[in-house]
Amino acid sequence: MKKLFALVVLAACLPASAPARDAEAGREKARVCAACHGADGNSTIAQNPILAGQTARYIYMQLRDFKRGRREDPMMSPMAANLSKQDMLDLAAYYSSQKFNGQNSRGDPALVARGKAVADAALCTICHLGGFSGQNEIPRTAGQHYEYNLKQLLDFKERRRTNDAGNMTAVVRTISDEDLEAVAAYLSTLR
Amino acid sequence: MTHSITRALMLALAAMLAVSTGLAAAQEVSGGATTTAKPMSDKLEPVTQERLDGADKERTDWLQVNGGYSQTRYFPGRQINTRNVKRLRPAFIFQTQVLESMETAPLVVDGVMFLTTSYNHVHAIDATTGEEFWHYIHPMDAITVYCCGPNNRGVAALDGKLFMGTLDAKLVALDAKTGAKLWETQIEDPEMGYSETMAPVAVDGKVLIGTNGGEYGVRGFVKAFDAETGELLWTFYTIPEAGHEGIWATHDATGRNLLRDIEAEKRMLDERGSDFYKTLGGGVWMTPAVDRETDTVFFVVGNPSPDLYGDIRPGDNLYTNSMVAVDLQTGAYRWHFQYIPHDVWDLDAVSPPILTTAKGKDGKNRKVVIHGGKTGHIYVHDRETGDLIRFSEAMIPQENMWVLPTPEGARMLPGANGGVEWNPMAVNEKLNLAYAANLHQPMTYHVEPAEYPGGDRLWLGGAFKVIPGEEQWGRLAAVDIDTGEMVWHAETEQPLMGGVLATGGDLVFTGEGNGWFNAYDARSGKKLWSFQAGAGVNAPPVSYVVNGKQYIAVAAGGNTQLNFKRGNSVIVFALP
Repeated sequence: MKKLFALVVLAACLPASAPARDAEAGREKARVCAACHGADGNSTIAQNPILAGQTARYIYMQLRDFKRGRREDPMMSPMAANLSKQDMLDLAAYYSSQKFNGQNSRGDPALVARGKAVADAALCTICHLGGFSGQNEIPRTAGQHYEYNLKQLLDFKERRRTNDAGNMTAVVRTISDEDLEAVAAYLSTLR
Repeated sequence: MTHSITRALMLALAAMLAVSTGLAAAQEVSGGATTTAKPMSDKLEPVTQERLDGADKERTDWLQVNGGYSQTRYFPGRQINTRNVKRLRPAFIFQTQVLESMETAPLVVDGVMFLTTSYNHVHAIDATTGEEFWHYIHPMDAITVYCCGPNNRGVAALDGKLFMGTLDAKLVALDAKTGAKLWETQIEDPEMGYSETMAPVAVDGKVLIGTNGGEYGVRGFVKAFDAETGELLWTFYTIPEAGHEGIWATHDATGRNLLRDIEAEKRMLDERGSDFYKTLGGGVWMTPAVDRETDTVFFVVGNPSPDLYGDIRPGDNLYTNSMVAVDLQTGAYRWHFQYIPHDVWDLDAVSPPILTTAKGKDGKNRKVVIHGGKTGHIYVHDRETGDLIRFSEAMIPQENMWVLPTPEGARMLPGANGGVEWNPMAVNEKLNLAYAANLHQPMTYHVEPAEYPGGDRLWLGGAFKVIPGEEQWGRLAAVDIDTGEMVWHAETEQPLMGGVLATGGDLVFTGEGNGWFNAYDARSGKKLWSFQAGAGVNAPPVSYVVNGKQYIAVAAGGNTQLNFKRGNSVIVFALP
């Protein structure tokens, strides 16, 4: 009993047991990512996601899923194949600590109100948090490129992307493509 | 040119602001320090076991999140009453640094209030002025996994300590006087979907706490820890290793057919075996009630995992969606009663159990334990055996129960939030009435087959969605627990999320997502007073007396789950 108590106290004094995440190391490791995602994660290519300000947990898990083949992409799968766990944690720490600069692509403004109504009915913010700011393994989608977000929504709908255990498929499969375009437009306007 | 200079200046300013607010936010969430603003009041005494045992009848302090171990949320004070409540005014407003969902029920001990925020901050403040004594920020581990908001619902107090469960699945003990951390214990692995938002209960040298995680494939439990050391004393798993298939019940507690394909389920069990008990869910995320006479702990158990896809978890999925009674000293099973066997609608049992008395089937008064369901029924059980004595009439519309979820979505009422969500009910024993905050949210239920994804990500097996164009609203319902009849009900514009307080002044308090905080006549349901809080009032109100003056306190922080406007305040009211 005393021993257990000592262990508990000791555990309380030690730093978190997870490997340290080093944003500065991540900055170095991210050089190879810059061409597609921007040096600071503010991708200017609408097909490539903005990573600046994304949750660290989401970035880490997506990299890991690419590496393990749970998520597939012709560009990203080979990029992630050689990353170590430490690489992934550092990259996640780096991009999550960068500021989203608001210079994303935008969808059709006329769609925005409709997109908000569709998103409200789908109860998106239960998981994505208010303002779509994301939390833990649930991504920030606020301000994301219209083109990238729309592709993800359609991929979930058609089960081309399933690494979320099908939750998003269940949400979007009864939503028309036009309404998904509206959702992507709405999300792209959020800050 | 002037434009471009102005623009450059504005951008620079914006960048500076972004940096400074970014830093502040980082400190808020991960700082991990206690700051002292003012020496603690010398009136603060330890909350002894004796005081906790008397908390149900307490006339000055609010010692447990739901009042006392019976959890009736009834405060006997009558200074604020039906005649004068219209003059109720804010005494002070305490603002926290965290602008996010508030579900906290503050404790008040000897004139000191202890309140919590999202991301596990704790504040000790003067309960009459709002001046801060200390502020504790939990140093959050890098990995947290939880759904539905970074909430915290409050602390438990015992012998000079406060106990809080954290989002990174720890139990933390603080010195009530200083806010200094005394010990912490890792309850379970956050990376496997475990987290804490509930207020623990402290009793007889133990701290009892359950777990979140029904959306991640955890194996639920209630654990007891030594209040002095944090050492684990016992664990009751809400999913038994053997026998979780139960009796293959075909009907729910109210006698409605669950439309189960029992033969298919049995075939599935033969094929897959019953190892899935390890990921069958059954979180316990609201505070248990404790009967000190019989040393019995009563709690309700959440949904099976995955929420909406039942094919791969054949059987009744015991003890999900059940009330369970266990021995306080050992955690040994005493009885259970399952409301919805093999749930596929996330209509789990969450609103905390309440110990009170009501008429038995023989018409004689007996000790009961009651629970307000997401189904919209209040269930009244014999406390000794668990037998269901009666269930109330449905407090909200029910339609199409129990239609099975489909890929395209099947419409059913109530929606997945209830009925009665986690919202603690209140009971006025003089009137024999239970007060329940209800939601009406028509939803479609969608199934999407999915195997266990590993614990680190959401596992719903589908989705539920509200139906555009269909009206949503809330209802505060008063139910006679002797008959099960709804005596009165008061409608609100929005679904109700937060909880109820009843007082000796014949008042009932509850808040709305649109910022209104209301007082109702406990006998008639007439709305007698309202205050606009400026953010969603989605937390359980409390009441207390300091220096002869009665106060009502409630958090106004909005709500993640229903996306009600966020705030960061606890507002405290008194008569002028």
